[in-house]
Amino acid sequence: MEISISGRGLLCTFWKPLPLQLLRVMKLTAILLTLVCIHVSARSYEQTVSFSGKNVPLTAVFTSIEKQTGVSFFFNYALLKGTRPVTLEVRNQTIDIVLEHVLTGQGLSYYKEGKTIFILKKQEASGTAYTSDGGTTTRQIDVKGQVLNHERLPLDGATIIVKHTTKGAVTDGKGMFEIKNVPVDGVLEISYTGYQHKEVPLEGRETVSVELALANTSLDETEVIAYGTTTQRFSTSDITTVKAETIEKQPVDNPLLALEGRVPGLFIQQNSGVSGSGLSILIQGQNSITSGNDPFYVVDGVPFNSQLLPNLGGSILGYSRTGTGAFSQPGNPFSFINPADIESIAVLKGADATAIYGSRAANGAILITTKKGRAGEAKIELNLQNGWGQIDRKLDVLNLKQYLQMRHEALKNDAIITPPATSYDINGFWDSTRSTDWQKTLIGNTAEYTNLYGSISGGTTLTQYLIGATYHRETSVFPGSFADQKGDIHFNLNTSSVNQRFKVQLQGSYLADRNVLPPVDITPQAVQTAPDAPKLYNPDGSLNWAPNATGTSSWANPLASLLRTYTANSNNLVSNAILSYQLIPGLEIRSSFGYNILGSKEISQVPLTYYAPETRSSRVNTANYTNNSSNSWIVEPQISYKRILGQGRVEFLAGGTIQQGTANGLWLSGSGYSSDAELSNIQAASSVTVTSFTNSTYRYNAGFARLTYNLREKYIVNLTGRRDGSSRFGAKNEFHGFAAIGGAWIFSNETFIKNHFKALSFGKLRSSYGTTGNDQIGDYTFLNLYGSDNPGIPYQGIVGLTPLGLSNPYLQWEETKKLEFGLDLSFWKDRLSVSGNYFRNRSSNEILAYSLPIITGFSFINRNFPATVQNSGWELTLNSVNIASKAFSWSSGINITIPRNKLLAFPNLANSSYANLLIVGRSISIIKKYHFLGVNPINGEYQFGDFHGTPTYTPASTDMTAVIDPTPNYYGGLENTFGFKGFTLKFLFQFMKRIGLDDYFGVTDPGFTGYNQPNSVLNRWHRPGDITTIQRFNSNGSIGSQIGRVTGSDAAYKDASFVRLKNISLTWQLPPNWQKWAGFQNTNIFVHAQNLLTFTRYVGIDPETLSSTNLPPLRILTFGLQTTF
Amino acid sequence: MIVKNIYFFRSKVAQWIKLAIIVIGFIFSCRKFVQLQVPISNVNVGNVCSSDVTAVVAITDMADVISRWLKLTTAMITLVFIFSCQKYVQVPAPISSINVGNVYSNDPTAIAAITDIYSQMSSGTLVLASGQNSLSYFAGLAADELTLYSGVTVSAAAYLYYTNALTNVSGVDFWNSLYPAIFSINSAIEGISGSTSLTPAIRQQLLGEAFFLRALCYFYLVNLYGDVPLVTGTDYAVNSLLARSPQATVWKQIIGDLQNAKALLSGNFLDKSLLKTSTSRLRPTKYTASALLARTYLYTADWSDAKMQADSLINNNAPFTLSLVSNLNNVFLANSNEAIWQLQPVSAGIPNTLDAYYFILPSTGPNGTNNSYLSTSLLNSFENGDQRRIDWVDSAIAGGTTYYYPYKYKVNATGSSTLTTEYTMVFRLSEQYLIRAEAEANGAGNGISSAISDLNVIRNRAGLAAYSGGTDQASVLAAILHERQVELFTEWGHRWLDLKRSGTINTVMAPVCNTIKGGNWSSNWQYFPIPLTDLQADPNLAQNSGY
Repeated sequence: MEISISGRGLLCTFWKPLPLQLLRVMKLTAILLTLVCIHVSARSYEQTVSFSGKNVPLTAVFTSIEKQTGVSFFFNYALLKGTRPVTLEVRNQTIDIVLEHVLTGQGLSYYKEGKTIFILKKQEASGTAYTSDGGTTTRQIDVKGQVLNHERLPLDGATIIVKHTTKGAVTDGKGMFEIKNVPVDGVLEISYTGYQHKEVPLEGRETVSVELALANTSLDETEVIAYGTTTQRFSTSDITTVKAETIEKQPVDNPLLALEGRVPGLFIQQNSGVSGSGLSILIQGQNSITSGNDPFYVVDGVPFNSQLLPNLGGSILGYSRTGTGAFSQPGNPFSFINPADIESIAVLKGADATAIYGSRAANGAILITTKKGRAGEAKIELNLQNGWGQIDRKLDVLNLKQYLQMRHEALKNDAIITPPATSYDINGFWDSTRSTDWQKTLIGNTAEYTNLYGSISGGTTLTQYLIGATYHRETSVFPGSFADQKGDIHFNLNTSSVNQRFKVQLQGSYLADRNVLPPVDITPQAVQTAPDAPKLYNPDGSLNWAPNATGTSSWANPLASLLRTYTANSNNLVSNAILSYQLIPGLEIRSSFGYNILGSKEISQVPLTYYAPETRSSRVNTANYTNNSSNSWIVEPQISYKRILGQGRVEFLAGGTIQQGTANGLWLSGSGYSSDAELSNIQAASSVTVTSFTNSTYRYNAGFARLTYNLREKYIVNLTGRRDGSSRFGAKNEFHGFAAIGGAWIFSNETFIKNHFKALSFGKLRSSYGTTGNDQIGDYTFLNLYGSDNPGIPYQGIVGLTPLGLSNPYLQWEETKKLEFGLDLSFWKDRLSVSGNYFRNRSSNEILAYSLPIITGFSFINRNFPATVQNSGWELTLNSVNIASKAFSWSSGINITIPRNKLLAFPNLANSSYANLLIVGRSISIIKKYHFLGVNPINGEYQFGDFHGTPTYTPASTDMTAVIDPTPNYYGGLENTFGFKGFTLKFLFQFMKRIGLDDYFGVTDPGFTGYNQPNSVLNRWHRPGDITTIQRFNSNGSIGSQIGRVTGSDAAYKDASFVRLKNISLTWQLPPNWQKWAGFQNTNIFVHAQNLLTFTRYVGIDPETLSSTNLPPLRILTFGLQTTF
Repeated sequence: MIVKNIYFFRSKVAQWIKLAIIVIGFIFSCRKFVQLQVPISNVNVGNVCSSDVTAVVAITDMADVISRWLKLTTAMITLVFIFSCQKYVQVPAPISSINVGNVYSNDPTAIAAITDIYSQMSSGTLVLASGQNSLSYFAGLAADELTLYSGVTVSAAAYLYYTNALTNVSGVDFWNSLYPAIFSINSAIEGISGSTSLTPAIRQQLLGEAFFLRALCYFYLVNLYGDVPLVTGTDYAVNSLLARSPQATVWKQIIGDLQNAKALLSGNFLDKSLLKTSTSRLRPTKYTASALLARTYLYTADWSDAKMQADSLINNNAPFTLSLVSNLNNVFLANSNEAIWQLQPVSAGIPNTLDAYYFILPSTGPNGTNNSYLSTSLLNSFENGDQRRIDWVDSAIAGGTTYYYPYKYKVNATGSSTLTTEYTMVFRLSEQYLIRAEAEANGAGNGISSAISDLNVIRNRAGLAAYSGGTDQASVLAAILHERQVELFTEWGHRWLDLKRSGTINTVMAPVCNTIKGGNWSSNWQYFPIPLTDLQADPNLAQNSGY
């Protein structure tokens, strides 16, 4: 009988084809076994044993101990052959005492690891052996051992290298390793991602148990990367990670908002202040001219959509735009991911980090990892917070006196003596002594903010769990009862077989959201309504339409807009499971299975009461309904291998991906309901039409591999390759290969540097180069499709089918070649760390609409075009611990990104349809505008330069010669953290330098009926000879079209830079004795605030949204309590 | 116990490994995976996915070399490449739209694709028959039929047609609309020809309709633009470089297509199933092909063939009644006996013809929408007592001015309560009399005398006396041209085309253009301009002279 401790010898012998029936039985057995394993593990083994027996074999003693305590014995039977029987009488003794007793004199020893006891042959005393040729050599021994973490749990996959040799091993699932023929005075170097590196001198020992401490610098903290983990120390690429402790300090409804100002190279812009708003996100600039520029998002290994399906939220939520890409939809899917469930968000930028995602990661990747359970007693964590939100800025508009002055002056300019009958604001119909601050009235309310989070987690060494739940409610700043409510459940379960080889990880989040908002943002009314406009309500509580003598309403009551409602009910499930099995130490096969479904049902209603009373008879009430659902599943089998090779360690990963995503959407419009109360019932509509119907399938298939070699923790090389296929491309080009190479040199580990630059604690030079692709062109663009065509009455009752476009079976990926160089330095034991990164990404093979003569049937075809776009830039990060005394600590961090975008090449641009949009050598974000020549001092009208520079009042589109580049010059964040006793104060300033469209010239023609204006219009032309920037006030629209021209000129694009106190948090940790008294472990009371202050010269309501038609981001202040017990 | 425990351990390992290998093998074998999906599209059968056998062999190998990691690595890399399965990433078309291969593989979708052309003609998307971009309207404005309301802005397309001041940017409606239709038709001809799964009768009819429609499109292209690129396939790479073909080549193509159509098309009108006959005259028949063939031979001066085709219609050999309708008020009704082919109105909320909707002036006179009325020269060309002047012309008096408008179509009421009583006439019998008369006057058949008798059929129906003018060829031809003017006014641009082919365009248009419209007539303007975008995109295209 041959028994082997390691599984190595077993594997080859039992591979035989299995009948299917047997397989089924085995599957069942496997499930049962798992249950048994879990059961066994739940028993404590630190028990005492009793035994009584005379002349019994050793095996009987072992069996009895196994029975009583649940430990397992492993040994080679050959060892026991020569042993004598034992006689023993013990009561409630520890295992050690019993074993000491029975093994003494048997030539055997033992050691314990976890719940396993190994019986070994006793080694002789160490010493120097003499070789046969008479020389001396260090005696060689076989070393066995175990590597444990700080919680004394085994570390699977830790690497052990015998110093100055090429020997080494990788631990198995139980943390065990064995190295043969090690010099007796050898030193083991042990390392594991996320833990401190440790050196253990053997000093003759044959068994060692090593405990690794958690990494104590951010350099060694675990960073999640594609299909694995690394640390900042050994990473060869540009990765920034934001952790839960940072995310949870920010009262945001979308986790991506927590990244603002914190990640170099990541541009984020919130496009509205309502909950669930759209976000614009770009990593290292805009690569694609017309296709999508969204990063590739992965939540727990499952790709997540970057855009919602077409929906009704457009005018209230704002769009999730990325550059000029065509794939922008309202809202953002990450509004349905709960920030409290997130453990970390990693932003992958460089080629080396992203190439393994192949055709989808040209725009970078954002990996979200959710919280996992940890072994230990059940732990309950609560985080309860409540707060308030308000708009962070208002637009400075004219006060009543200034407004009336503007209106009268406008009439005077137009030579109108009596105000027209419809100019209610100045003809005496409205009370022109009464003034209302409409921004305060309409968008100045206080939103309530509540976020309640609770979780329970714990487990044993074999099984860990976490269950978390969140309730989130955020009302709006609009008058009326609008609120976004979310409920979320998150769970994680990890379990493994007793031998820790087979592991299962299961996790999921389910979030239900009900967002009730007005369907149209009333911010424009808040900014533009005349200050003397009537009261909102009549004395009887009904809306005041202020009808004139003939019964015509004298204004559109802004609150009427709020009688319309937009309700979105969304559900999001993100789930995945990972099964893994360790074949031999270091060699693991695993497969992940993911599924997510995001569904949303919306109703947007327009009741009759929205319209002025006198017009209702000719109106119909309407409602729109959507039912959208997008789901995807993914299976990714992988194999990974890790071993010691030479003086370094090698890690190899290979795997495959099969993914399918489907999207279904239905948008129905109903009209003519008998009553407004029935608007939510589509059956009550007298007419229903299908506005749109979406159905699409996306499939993706890939094979990938990565090889990493780390030599002596100094030289690291990383090779990545992926071959992938996407259903979005034509039959001729479905598959494509992508590859990257990355390297790093940790020069601070060189002896020369160590000896001469003592202050330098860490120094690394890294670089990577590779290719990635972009397949964000929408589904089916290569197919020759026919769509339904029904102008109203089907011809002969047949709904026609018509070709939708020309197909291009040669359509293929846009390809981005990424190059980066980085230098990471840390000084004085990591007190100061500096990181610099230069990137240069070149995107080519751009997919563009290529002009065709219409004789081909269509005016364009989507084609890959040899245009090249370059994004380059510098990313700098500096972190320092300024003061670290026991009572007081102060640390700072700053990051800054200086991006540049440039169109390098565009063959035959002048003759293409992009001739007026792009310029070679300039950014692809440029916009061409009229050149403003100021106000003509003679007549007070705006003048523009035409194509030749000659002044004109009416420039044509060919006169748009001024080039505006709205790309930010630089952006970043500055964070400071102060600690004083139990108090921690953190604040983050976000800053951005750029130009943008502002409201300096007014939103409508200044002086025109009923519209208030920004203060800046007071710089108007008054009388001939005035040199001003604003044209003369005008009441009758005679020069009203000039407002469109001036806002379409270079003068309207002004400095839109800002510095914003993005986040501030003050935390007070309760004194330990108080906590102990109350039975709490970690309790603190906090104040968090978001968007507290903004410093800008921007003329407009908000420099981030750059819009006066969208609600600005809210300033949110919350108080709360966080505790663990 | 220990022995058991060890067996337990060992068998467990074995099970897990086998299970894992089988699971992975299963996942990797993507043919099975794809079989779960029933692909409704004709995916590329040449690229069959890697087989189960390959994957399983690779996995078996993996088990064998498990201790030799290098080989294992190689095997895994191989596996990764095997894994890239092309069939998997070829998705069927979405159910909201259909891939071209599927459109012509079953009857209803094939019918829907061809029917869409009629629908587009009727809705005005294909700017021939109906609406404010139609040939009746634009060509009527360009010729001497219609006068444009003075309130129309100078940049509007209508104004440019009216003042014969088209440019390569703004006078390009017909070109930009007919070529996409030709793409659809070519795609249909390719699809139907290559399809084996259509019901034979349906396949034959649809192919006939497609040939007929292509001829119809080219008929107007060659008349409006002169030499035009002859697109007969769907390959954009070829089509985007085409040069203009000489008119003779285009005419040859038209005649060939019509002969094909005539051979393929049904002899009677068909319903939506294309298998049963219908009283509605909504789908072309072989007689419709004859009608266009007669017109084509006439335009190409093939007098005897023109007469022969017209004969077949006038002799009423068809299984349906084809005769002149004596009451002029009933000529344009749905399913009129005079109709050789009609189009059903399709626009939402407009249950009758767009001609009625746009031509009939409101009592307040012309406005931005109803912005044209009959020209004085057309009104003056009606002889006294012409019933057509009474029945087919109506007027609105506004601001002391009387505006006369075409009143062939009489129902312009909107809304769902209005019944559909009129269809848009495409071909009608009276034109065939005039075609035959002209062919005879040019020597076909019995010559001048039968020409006059055919002419008199039309005159008599209009309540006019028999032709009493000169019997020389020139006089008779002039009389026929005049008769066409008053019979076919504001129908399908007949007047504009007649002026061109009769060679009278310069003498007629110069005074109209120079004095009434306020331009300076150029002979070049009888051909419309080719769009600038096409000239830029196709290096082999040349502009018509004068633009």
